[in-house]
Amino acid sequence: MSSDPVTLAAVEIGSSKVAAIVAEYTGYGFTIKGWGECQSQGVRKGCVIDYPAVTQCTQQALENAKRATGGSSGVPVEQIDKVFLAQTGGHLDGFYNEGARIVSAADNMVSAEDIAEVRRLAKAKELPEGRMLLERLRHPFRLDGRLIKSSPEHLCGRRLEVGYWMVHGDESRISDSYHMISNSQIEVAEMVLSGLASGRVVTSQAEREHGVLVIDIGGGTSDYALYRDGLPYVAGAVAVGGGHLSNDLTIGLRLSTGQGDRVKLRHGRAIVQCRDKAQKVWLDGDLAIGDRQLPLLSIEKILEARVREIFEVVKHKLGTAFSPETCAAGVVLTGGTSKLPAIAEAAAAVFNTPVHIGQVSDGFPEPLQDPGFHTALGLLQLGIEKQRAREAAERSQRPGFLRRLFARPSRH
Amino acid sequence: MDFETTRQPPFPDDAANPEARVEPAGSAPDPARAAASASSSLSELPPVLLKLVGVGGAGVNIATRLSAEALAGLPLAVVDCDAQKLADSSVAEKCLLGEKQRRGLSAGGDAELGRQAAEASREKIAAVGGGADLVFVVTGLGGGTGSAAAPMVAAEAAKAGGLVIGFAVLPFSFEGGRRVKQADAALVALRRVCDAVIVLPNDLLLQESAEGASALAAFEQADAWIARAVRAIWGLLHNTGLINLDFAALQRAFEYRGSKTVFGLAGGAEATSAVGGEGREGTAGAAQALLASLPLCPLLHMPEGARRADRLLVVFTGGRDALSLSLVNTVVQALGERFGRAAELIVGATIDESMGERVELCFIGTSDIGHASRRRFGEGRAGRATAAGGTEGAGGAGRTAAARSGETHAAEAAAATVAPTQFQSGAESTDARRKPAPPPPADPFSPLSKAGSAGVFPSAIHGFGKSSARAAAASATTAQDEFGFSESTERGYFQDTDNNLFEGQDLDVPTYRRKGIKITV
Repeated sequence: MSSDPVTLAAVEIGSSKVAAIVAEYTGYGFTIKGWGECQSQGVRKGCVIDYPAVTQCTQQALENAKRATGGSSGVPVEQIDKVFLAQTGGHLDGFYNEGARIVSAADNMVSAEDIAEVRRLAKAKELPEGRMLLERLRHPFRLDGRLIKSSPEHLCGRRLEVGYWMVHGDESRISDSYHMISNSQIEVAEMVLSGLASGRVVTSQAEREHGVLVIDIGGGTSDYALYRDGLPYVAGAVAVGGGHLSNDLTIGLRLSTGQGDRVKLRHGRAIVQCRDKAQKVWLDGDLAIGDRQLPLLSIEKILEARVREIFEVVKHKLGTAFSPETCAAGVVLTGGTSKLPAIAEAAAAVFNTPVHIGQVSDGFPEPLQDPGFHTALGLLQLGIEKQRAREAAERSQRPGFLRRLFARPSRH
Repeated sequence: MDFETTRQPPFPDDAANPEARVEPAGSAPDPARAAASASSSLSELPPVLLKLVGVGGAGVNIATRLSAEALAGLPLAVVDCDAQKLADSSVAEKCLLGEKQRRGLSAGGDAELGRQAAEASREKIAAVGGGADLVFVVTGLGGGTGSAAAPMVAAEAAKAGGLVIGFAVLPFSFEGGRRVKQADAALVALRRVCDAVIVLPNDLLLQESAEGASALAAFEQADAWIARAVRAIWGLLHNTGLINLDFAALQRAFEYRGSKTVFGLAGGAEATSAVGGEGREGTAGAAQALLASLPLCPLLHMPEGARRADRLLVVFTGGRDALSLSLVNTVVQALGERFGRAAELIVGATIDESMGERVELCFIGTSDIGHASRRRFGEGRAGRATAAGGTEGAGGAGRTAAARSGETHAAEAAAATVAPTQFQSGAESTDARRKPAPPPPADPFSPLSKAGSAGVFPSAIHGFGKSSARAAAASATTAQDEFGFSESTERGYFQDTDNNLFEGQDLDVPTYRRKGIKITV
């Protein structure tokens, strides 16, 4: 594995921008080679509405990233071997399914067969027509009601249970985004939920053990992932994001789309702070024709209502899975909209837990520490983990050490 | 003022007391009511009084057609300037407008002449429209008399405390710009004074009718549709249902004055074969046929954007065998999904033996978004009843007030103080329903911008429910919209994308708007 490095790219096609990170994977770890982004066109609420425009943006972002790789090592990467693709959008949906089995052995010791069977049962639920499974999140095993965080093999008990949170999406939409990449002769190796991707990099293992909720509020969608006992527990997406904040301002204050966005960035706040009804801010501030004054209170009220609602919808979607008690590490916010002032307070008011803005490890290059790149970074990590797990599974199925040694060269 | 009177006698079983409802045409209705309410026995409680007033040429035609059907308890009246037209009508109660001005001639399609005639005969109009609990004002807009007098009839009826439902036939576009313009202006005026206006654009009939069909045939078709609609509402009040609905349910549906209204009829003739004939299709087939025929109703003025209704009143009428509960269930569920599950569903079902194998569906959807609470009080009614019935009047007024109390909270105080003064000022008295005083009728949208509503589109005031009552009370009158018109345009950037429904709400519509938060620009 270590002999031939693979060039990977993590691509997130978002509603506001397409982000791509190119990295080299040697089998042990990965080195980030370059990154690029491109303003997104033809994506609304995480879904592709203009296929050619999005394809062009995606190619552009990848091209930018490839070119940037030349900056550090001198020679730009020529070929991207595999792509990890993030998935989001309002079409995503999830459900929980459980399987249970009476432990077969007479001495009540759980065997590998029991585990395989109970997993098979829990996964067996069929999807509705036209839906495609994206992710299965396995919840911890339970043996006679006892929570088993690792494998229950060789433990004793009568009844073994396991549950899966299954995330599925609209088949045509997923294949749309898949072909966006595969049409340019690059293999899409993994598809990962955006929420899980950003959740992976902005939380620590300890936080995930204690229970943490990550909400990535992007341009068109808000992706969320709830972790409990170190594992992702529930994940999904709400098709509301920063674009809705701008749109609300646009409609409420009668602005053009671009103006709404600018007002949000310049004067936006997630909690009303302004007490003075008469306090005004300038639309552009350049005293040009068409510039006018807007009441700050109105801006803040519009944004507060929307931001609060996003959190309320997420909380509602999580249902009983979330409670402040089981989410000791609180809520972590990321994504472009998490830069909105006072958004953490707004979230804290809804979730009743401590909230902080997500940050990634200092080890990453500084531009990648921007919340806008968190998903792509997590995508890279998670994609590689998934690949490793897949390879490990393949390896374990292949017979004999020696034969594997001999078989290897033929793979390349 | 009988605000305190909250006694709310149960509504009478209509079938049990049919005679009490039939009023001798032309007589003032109050003595009848007073006499009826003098007794405390259940069967003699004051009945719900209905009345249908046909205004102008088209209105007279439709009323005449309905008079042939002899709907018990639905007295008819016709109002026109044209003496000849009135003379031809078989309706008993006739009201000739502007005898001096028009000398029995029609308004000749000139709304100004119609207005003068109507103004001159305001007292007559008040006598025609007043006194009923539910008044249908049927008219064809675009002409002279209908355009000018219909809003006045509606206003007088509303002033007297009645629930007013307007049926307006809009002219064909080939009838020319002037008529269309007059019709539009009149429609705005009518919407301002009616609890609901159901519109039937003649153009739709043109598309529907066969190639060679004459204009006359199309006009007749329009008449027939309105007759069906009136019959459906009449049936709802008059027949005791399997799942019964009464006047209170209707009032509930029109709780907020000027709400957007959507009205549809389905079934009847078109669906007959599928409902009755094809036994193998069974209930599911019947339900499907009903739902399929619903969009064909020309009264159903429902642009694609209409997504949500706050209240849905669904009434089924059918033969004993045809009307099954599973059919009701399937159809109501489909309608509920179509208009959002949050909608408050009021379902009624009536067995009508004469329907045989047929099932007819009538549904009325209203949406509160951004409209003032419908009622203040039955001041007009209270005054009238007291004058007419002495002590009994309090009971009658109490019923009106009670039935409508609880709907106005923020508006109560305002109405109580504004109303008395305005009631004395004749022509302006209708304005008491909406406080503060309304704008000049010429520009229905101007008050919105004056009041600083934050919508991009003039028709939009934000929020619904009680907060909207407040917002709308402050922003004065609201012209009633085509159902769903503003909703389709308030998604802005997300206009062309899929619905983003969550718990019955479209998340693409600004939150502040859905929650009724007032924004100043």
